[in-house]
Amino acid sequence: MKGIFKGMGVTFKNMTSPKVTYAYPDVPLEMPDRFRGIQHFDPDKCIVCNLCAKVCPTDCITLTGKPNPDPEKRGKVIDTYDINFEICILCDLCTEVCPTEAIVMTNNFELASYSRDDLFKDKEWLTDNNTNVRQENNSAMPKGGAKKSAE
Amino acid sequence: MIRTEELLLNVGPQHPSTHGVFRIVVKLDGEIIIEADPVMGYLHRGTEKLAEELTYTQIIPYTDRMDYVSAMTNNYVLVNAVEKLMQIEIPERAQFLRLIVMELQRIASHLVWWGTYLLDIGAMSPFLFAFRDREIIINLFNELCGARLTYNYMRVGGVKWDAPDGWLDKVRDFLPYMRKKLDEYDTLVSGNEIFLARIKGVGAYDADTAIQYGLSGANLRCTGVDWDLRKAQPYCIYDRFEFDVPLGRSGDCYDRYLIRLEEIRQSIRILEQALEQFPEGGETMGKAPRVLRAPEGEIYSAIESPRGEIGCYIVSRGKDKPYRLKFRRPSFVNLQILPKLLVGETMTNLITILGGIDIVVGEVDC
Amino acid sequence: MTDLLLEDLTWRSFSLFLLAGVLMLVLILGFVTYAIYFERKVIGWMQMRIGPNRTGPLGLLQSVADVTKLLIKEDTIPKKAERTLFILAPVITFIPSFMVLATIPYTPSLHFADLDVGILYYVALSGVSTIGIVLGGWASNNKYALLGGMRSAAQMISYEIPFVISVVGVIMLSGSMQLSTIVENQGGGFWHWNFLPQIIGFVVFVIAGVSELNRTPFDLPEAESELVAGYHVEYSGFRFAFFMLAEYVYVFAIAALTTVLFLGGWHAPFPFLDFIPGIIWFLLKFAFNVFFLFWIRATLPRVRVDQLMGLGWKVLLPLSLLNIFITAVYYELFIR
Repeated sequence: MKGIFKGMGVTFKNMTSPKVTYAYPDVPLEMPDRFRGIQHFDPDKCIVCNLCAKVCPTDCITLTGKPNPDPEKRGKVIDTYDINFEICILCDLCTEVCPTEAIVMTNNFELASYSRDDLFKDKEWLTDNNTNVRQENNSAMPKGGAKKSAE
Repeated sequence: MIRTEELLLNVGPQHPSTHGVFRIVVKLDGEIIIEADPVMGYLHRGTEKLAEELTYTQIIPYTDRMDYVSAMTNNYVLVNAVEKLMQIEIPERAQFLRLIVMELQRIASHLVWWGTYLLDIGAMSPFLFAFRDREIIINLFNELCGARLTYNYMRVGGVKWDAPDGWLDKVRDFLPYMRKKLDEYDTLVSGNEIFLARIKGVGAYDADTAIQYGLSGANLRCTGVDWDLRKAQPYCIYDRFEFDVPLGRSGDCYDRYLIRLEEIRQSIRILEQALEQFPEGGETMGKAPRVLRAPEGEIYSAIESPRGEIGCYIVSRGKDKPYRLKFRRPSFVNLQILPKLLVGETMTNLITILGGIDIVVGEVDC
Repeated sequence: MTDLLLEDLTWRSFSLFLLAGVLMLVLILGFVTYAIYFERKVIGWMQMRIGPNRTGPLGLLQSVADVTKLLIKEDTIPKKAERTLFILAPVITFIPSFMVLATIPYTPSLHFADLDVGILYYVALSGVSTIGIVLGGWASNNKYALLGGMRSAAQMISYEIPFVISVVGVIMLSGSMQLSTIVENQGGGFWHWNFLPQIIGFVVFVIAGVSELNRTPFDLPEAESELVAGYHVEYSGFRFAFFMLAEYVYVFAIAALTTVLFLGGWHAPFPFLDFIPGIIWFLLKFAFNVFFLFWIRATLPRVRVDQLMGLGWKVLLPLSLLNIFITAVYYELFIR
């Protein structure tokens, strides 16, 4: 019986202990800077190198480019850029390889919707998703393309 | 005359205590099990087959989803196999970070086990106590790599992120807290007579049986076999630290329970030493080529996950994708002894024994 | 009211009885609603949670919302179920739970039927509820429910006996089975309460009482983690609500009975505190008993079925028999 009473002492003592639950929907959750939420896409930075689409383990990124409208500049600019959040696993590999930080993670994570169609996000939506953008993007990983190596 | 009939009972795949979508078909005589037939595969996602179409870096997020309670060790086993195959040197700092996250993960994983095991046995509070403390570890991981469960933290050649400012201090503060909480757990549950009566002598087997069934982890050590890969085949930098491998004697659920709780204490010991010896500065990524082309050959690397020996077997044909990849999942192997253990037990002991084996269905089905 | 009961039944007395019954039912429903609320709150606090706080101020309407949900839910009866019994089972479980309340005295004046055989009446009727549980388990035509129902039957048989025998000591000391007489005999300070001279009987009574309630650690008939939900696995909607209601009415009944039999009913713990009305003391003790049930639910794991039988037959029954013997000797030597 001793063990039972000791255990009951623990639960009784905990009645007044501080509560550890989050008041989540009322109080938004503060995620740390490195949190991998929904991506933000910056079309101006994109060089249409296709690395993110290639590295994606679930093939959820599709993108197309078009020739640069400014005839004096070489290369392509982004035309469409879609991420299918039905299958995106937010693994961070796309932002890891992006040489220009055109695609970066944000701390937003609320994706729930009533329709699966809503989970298909296009370029405009991803561009507008520009709050809580992750500050620290140069992880220890070497960037694809660019030769800079982070410390 | 009374006519009796055997009762065929389908436990799972939707059952509160089968830890996910695991299923056992049991034949009951009253409440006594006379035959048990585990059915698995409800969470099979074909990770091994998928891996054949993925580059080595792309496989890492898939390993997170195998044993989702202990993703860090899964990350490590794959990364370690590739590194061994490609003979890549890992910087010191990365080694320490890997070890710290793996040991934190072991604590977190054992906490989940402890909580859910007691929930299976019918005590409600321990579950929330365990999750309160696990939350701290999860938050630490969230700060480190930006995810709470699927970390995708390790990379071939090192780790993705260096520890953020003050992170190591937070880990340092966590350890004494966890020690105190472990004592609280012991007062709450470990002496409880009802609990002891439930698990003492239940599901016992001897060392020979355990070895024949290929059990590993606490399921093996509860019979007294001193086999912990961290000591037996040191990987990472485990050979630099002092820790004990807790062993049981009787091979029952009680021994497995004590071993797991003691392993948390030993992990805290390792972490304390690791934080002390943590190198100042240094790279967290070694010199790994950007495109990982493993040379032709085969490799098997095994480490001690919280559940036992997790292994990764890679056959490479010199491409950037594996020709064949196979995970030896401890949950799956440990589960094989279940039908043998269940015969002659009651329905109640089914839950006790199944919980004591500590399976994660994501890993069983892979 | 006892005098009225002894007279011939007239329309006047009948309507009075009906009024009292309905009043009691409303009171009980209120108790159950807030017992469930406080159970969730208390267990929440013990687990460092807040507990229900979304419905109404402080979550006070949570149980009301839950019950409303159950009442407007679709009524499902499994096709292969034994229809009549399936419908009858919750009723059989609930009615005795409400009937036993008739005999409990709250204060010297506030009671319904102060029977000469109050204890026997309680025990006899509370046993009937188990039949409802067994029937429900069997009629559902579900294997988990059947196992739960069978466990319930075994548990009832093993624990009803020590439950009754543990009370015999109290009856011997008071010389009556009338609950109000038993309380009268405990007046004058807490050292006169039965739980001290009858400490063995008290412990056996509490354990057997919790077991009668089918609550943790003896909640084997519904063993969430083993039998999913046990005997009521196929029940939903208001039929399920009846099972729940019966369970909580028994919580009320057992807590009140413990107060009456062992904790001195409406008497104050010290004579100088007599100025506080008896009903307050009764409610305080009653609330403590209810809290105790929640408390053990938050702490203890479930007992195994064979150990439960072992405990009942090998420990509690001999102990309660021993208690009778000791009480008899004590009574012979000191009281007579």
